Amino acid sequence: MIICVAVVGHQNNPLFIQSFTEADDALKLHHIVHCSLDVVDERVNNPKKSGPLLNETFLGLLYPIENYKVYGYLTNTKVKFILVTTDLDVRDADVRNFFRRFHAAYVDAVSNPFHVPGKKITSKTFVERVSTIVKSFGLSSAG
Amino acid sequence: MANFLAQFQTIKTTADRIVISVEDVSDLWPTVKNAFEARLPFKRASLNNKTRNPVSVEQLPAEFILTTDSRLRSRFPQEQLLFWFREPYATVVLVTCEDLDEFKTILKPRLKLIVQNDEKEWFIVFVSKAHPANDQANKMAKKVYSKLEVEFSSKKRERCCKYDIHFPEANFWDDLESKIMECVRNTLDRRVQFYEDEIRKLSEQRLMPVWNFCNFFILKESLAFMFEMAHLHEDALREYDELELCYLETVNMTGKQRHFGGADHGDDQAALLNPGNKALTQIVQEDSFREFEFRQYLFACTSKLLFKLNRPFEVASRGYSFIISFSKSLASYERILPFCMREVWVITACLALIEATISHYNEGHVVPDIEKEFFRLLGDLYSLARVKFMRLAYLVGYGTDIERSPVNSASLSLLPWPKPAIWPSVPADASAEVLEKEKLILQTTPRTKHFGIQRKPLPLEPTVLLREANRRRASLSAGNVFEMFEGRQGTIEGSQAQKLHATSMPRTNSSPGNVDSSIDRPMRLAEIYVASEHALKQSISNPELLKSLSSSEEFEQKYLELTKGAADNYHRSWWKRHGVVLDGEIAAVAFKHGHFDQAAKSYEKVCALYAGEGWQDLLAEVLPNLAECQKILNDQAGYLLSCVRLLSLDEGLFLTKERQAVQSEVVRLAHSEMKDPVPLDVSSLITFSGNPGPPLELCDRDPGTLSVTVWSGFPDDITLDSISLTLTPTHNADEGVKALKSSTATVLHPGRNTITLDLPPQKPGSYVLGVLTGQIGQLRFRSHSFSKVGPADSDDFMSYEKPAKPILKVAKPRALVDLEAAVSSALLINEHQWVGILIRPINYSLKAAVLHIDTGPGLEIEDSHVIEMESCASVSQNDDEQVQRDVAQIGSLNSGKSFERLTLHDGRIEFPNWASDTPSILWVLIRAVSDTLSRGSSSVTTRRESIVDGMRTIALKLEFGVFHNQIFERTLAVHFTYPFYVRTRVTDKSNDGTFLLQVILHSEVKAKLTIYDAWLDLQDGFVHTGQTEGRPDSSDFPLNISPTSKAGILFSICLGKTNTEEESRKQAESVLNIKYGISGDRTIGAHPPVIDESTRVDGARQELIFRSAIILQRPVLDPCLAVGFLPLPSDGLRVGQLVKMQWRVERLKDWDKTEVSEPNGEVLYEVNANSGNWMIAGRKRGHVSLSTKQGARIIISILCMPLVAGYVRPPILGLPDVDEANISCKPAGPHLVCVLPPALSSSFCIPVNS
Repeated sequence: MIICVAVVGHQNNPLFIQSFTEADDALKLHHIVHCSLDVVDERVNNPKKSGPLLNETFLGLLYPIENYKVYGYLTNTKVKFILVTTDLDVRDADVRNFFRRFHAAYVDAVSNPFHVPGKKITSKTFVERVSTIVKSFGLSSAG
Repeated sequence: MANFLAQFQTIKTTADRIVISVEDVSDLWPTVKNAFEARLPFKRASLNNKTRNPVSVEQLPAEFILTTDSRLRSRFPQEQLLFWFREPYATVVLVTCEDLDEFKTILKPRLKLIVQNDEKEWFIVFVSKAHPANDQANKMAKKVYSKLEVEFSSKKRERCCKYDIHFPEANFWDDLESKIMECVRNTLDRRVQFYEDEIRKLSEQRLMPVWNFCNFFILKESLAFMFEMAHLHEDALREYDELELCYLETVNMTGKQRHFGGADHGDDQAALLNPGNKALTQIVQEDSFREFEFRQYLFACTSKLLFKLNRPFEVASRGYSFIISFSKSLASYERILPFCMREVWVITACLALIEATISHYNEGHVVPDIEKEFFRLLGDLYSLARVKFMRLAYLVGYGTDIERSPVNSASLSLLPWPKPAIWPSVPADASAEVLEKEKLILQTTPRTKHFGIQRKPLPLEPTVLLREANRRRASLSAGNVFEMFEGRQGTIEGSQAQKLHATSMPRTNSSPGNVDSSIDRPMRLAEIYVASEHALKQSISNPELLKSLSSSEEFEQKYLELTKGAADNYHRSWWKRHGVVLDGEIAAVAFKHGHFDQAAKSYEKVCALYAGEGWQDLLAEVLPNLAECQKILNDQAGYLLSCVRLLSLDEGLFLTKERQAVQSEVVRLAHSEMKDPVPLDVSSLITFSGNPGPPLELCDRDPGTLSVTVWSGFPDDITLDSISLTLTPTHNADEGVKALKSSTATVLHPGRNTITLDLPPQKPGSYVLGVLTGQIGQLRFRSHSFSKVGPADSDDFMSYEKPAKPILKVAKPRALVDLEAAVSSALLINEHQWVGILIRPINYSLKAAVLHIDTGPGLEIEDSHVIEMESCASVSQNDDEQVQRDVAQIGSLNSGKSFERLTLHDGRIEFPNWASDTPSILWVLIRAVSDTLSRGSSSVTTRRESIVDGMRTIALKLEFGVFHNQIFERTLAVHFTYPFYVRTRVTDKSNDGTFLLQVILHSEVKAKLTIYDAWLDLQDGFVHTGQTEGRPDSSDFPLNISPTSKAGILFSICLGKTNTEEESRKQAESVLNIKYGISGDRTIGAHPPVIDESTRVDGARQELIFRSAIILQRPVLDPCLAVGFLPLPSDGLRVGQLVKMQWRVERLKDWDKTEVSEPNGEVLYEVNANSGNWMIAGRKRGHVSLSTKQGARIIISILCMPLVAGYVRPPILGLPDVDEANISCKPAGPHLVCVLPPALSSSFCIPVNS
């Protein structure tokens, strides 16, 4: 189950965080997303290590925590998408697909002329669209 | 083959180096042993790895063993094959012989026998015992050796070498080593080949039922072990890796239910670095090994090799993944393992791994990237151990000691509870402990945050422990009463516990000792804690870990140790976010123990981290803690700053009540007795901007009021004692900033406020807003931030750029108003006249302007009269002012022509409001005073009048602008004149001395003049001829004279006698009296003078008197001197050509001695000429000598140049000292000369047709 998706701006500022847990504990997800930026930073700053990944937007599994997984995605404007899931066996292709759709939704959201770049995304449509994407996560592979 | 496992293990422990067997044929070993063994271990050995590539081994340990040694003799052939790795890798045959015959007969056959075994890699060392002095012996030894070489060496391979006991050859040892190495290499290759073949054979059967992993393992590990003995660690490592892969495959593949292992005492302590923890024979499970122990064993072997390869980093990295994956395996077998075995194992594994890797780690030996990665792994290990440790502590009941922070919540609430088959139940004799735990639970009160901030604590548990534990108990199945808690997942454990506590309390009271009942009824939280504690005591074998869980103090110590370890290592790995967040956890503990200083430092770091990247939600969690620390530490500046930062966070993050509490803290502190004023940056809380729209535009030197929009982020109104705002000029920075101050208290409402500030005059230029400073009590705050559109946005942390929009523009100095005289033509002198002053504002309001009027000499203002002011719509003169004219016209259309009477007070006039924007004319009644009489002139002489004569000045000073700060000064020149200028001319002259005097009146004003009467008071020597007393025919009057036209009046007069001496003196000149009236408009020029209202008679015509003096010249009756104008050159005069003018002066009579005016026969002359027509070169005035005798004559020459063409009057020679009556002129009257235009110059002409 995806428990959190987030958009982080190029200055590592949170632009959008949506949690999908029932409990009122979004703060811990903020923490997870925030800490995962350490890994993103490292990947971005160490192109040597990431090697062929350099030109790829999908950063893959950021770090293996025992009970959840954090995936990252980096757009070419240095905006990061973070996905936190409690599914322990997730296929990379699914995550890639998720991020592609999420990216499209993000691009649509920030193309709104009333959106101020660098500010938080407040669009309700975006929230709805993200929820749809999250709900359909993994379904394509199953079906 | 599996039976050999035990043997294999013992062999492995005994054999740890390669063996070189020594075949001591001639009993030489005791003599050479020391020398040989001194070469061990071999340096720079060259071996082949598994892929047959040469590898250089730095040190290769080996052992020489005699073939007769029991270790080599007592082996069965089958054993030898299986454990081939321990067999000798080379055989050294030691021989000596001093006789050829002996060699042939004895030694050679024996050697042949030894070396016939193909399996062995051998070579012969011929030891020469011959003394170097003994040539005979040496020769013999050489001979024998050469025989030996012939017999045993081949072209392909040299198998012999010679060792001189007394004098070893220099290269012998190298030779020996290379030979040994060759043998070892060959043997190794052969054995690797053998093992590989065997392994392949077994691998092919892997899917068959006969497959036995143990056999495979023995072969594979033998190979690995052989590589390890040969110091080919990389190859050994590879074998182990393959072994692990293969093992995992068998584990996962077979459907057989195997024992997992881990049920033994002490298994909870990870043995992932200790390969000898358990004998392999103990963990054999049918045809394979138990997973629990075997995987740890494999990892231990690999880590041992990695440490040998000096790669502790890889141990850490492999270890971390191993722990994670192994923990997963443990989770799947959790039901059969002891309670919390998984957590305990992970903790011990992490700690063991950390300890081992750090002890093997040498700082600075690796590239920084790997080093960073290493520390990161250590951090990960620490943090993993920390999480598991916290989980155990929670189960034991130390949950209240764990900070419910995001980091702890993130790791604990996503970590599922342990899933034992049956949740441990309370032991029989534990009721006392249960009571104690219950007491603890009741005692703990949730810590309230500073400022009364109410936050729902973050969960530390994935689900409610109470329900989870009870559900997993044997006697209770799903669907019991605890399902009622399903809907309350979010509620925390504590509150849940209390609720439950209340319901179950009566039962406990009734049967405190009846522990058995707990099987039937659900366990209470305290019971769960106690049960867990007891179960953990069973499963934990590590005394240190047990101790750490024994009390809350011990727990805290361990917790701190782990947290610090994680934080430090994360910091060293540059994972600052991980590190700093954990610092915050340390700070929480420090805070609890009253180490506020340390806590504040750490909290500050955490806050800076969150604030720097705008993670407000997280910041809101930590900042109150920091504020509390600072408050306790009495760090007022820091505390205030924290309060401000709290207030400037997103409004939604706190309740209004909480925000108000913070604000009241700020205000309370600000007004408390602080020693020094505390500076505070409130940029995030109070922002400001200029008003939207164009900037305020001011003229130079104008003050103004600047209105600024200020957004307040305070939740309530806040009173600022003073406020000041700096303006920064945009054009030059060195001018410095100007501060605008408002010392009155300002109340800022939440949200948008508009503040107006007085703006003193500024230098020209444009200005932007600088810094807002102010004071609240003792608090000096300043704000640098500018809000552009809306209220300060919370994530504005990156927009600190200055606003480009200027707020104020001060124009360069320019004319703001213009004052000029409204009329250009002359006014009447000595009469009351209106003088018009045109006041024209130039895009500037003259509201409440004050005009100071000061008249110059010869001019006076009539105080008694009012001053009239009227608007003047169409006075604009050029296109630039088109707009203004339009505006003025619109104004005039709307309001019509404004007119107002004003009064003058002390020379000041205040302007009415309507005159502030439109041009207006101010009419001031004045009178120019002149006590001289107008003088007429004869038609002969030119009119000699200076323009200055009629000129009067009015000094004007206009004070205007909002604060009368603008001053405009101007001196106006007003021209005054008499109405007429009089010229006389004798038109006709009869012989009887009667002549007609024509008086020509030139009108000097732009007004119609009407002459009602005129008379002439004649001077002495003239009398009127008729009886009309000098008046002309009355029928001519009234006579109208149009502006600038002329009129003439004829008077008939004759020369008369002198009446009396007195009268003649009185009347030296004639006076023309004219009674006239004027009808003019003051807007044009001269007009009827204003008379006092009181004396005015309606309908009466206003008659004015004009008097002008006329000098009548009597004919020359007794000429003494004659002046004659000599003829000019015949070719005429031309403009620009010099011409000589000559006059001849001749004395007609002898000098009369009675005249004193002409001394010494000198005559004063003076040349008068119209300077517009003539240029005179030479002296215009001077004395010339002229004899006093009659007939004396002289010629006066003057060089002149005509300046204009036409008929002009030539210069006239006058003799000022001589009475005009005594000079006879020729020509007698004025005459004209013709001046031709200048000759054409053709030099610049270009012919048209060329």
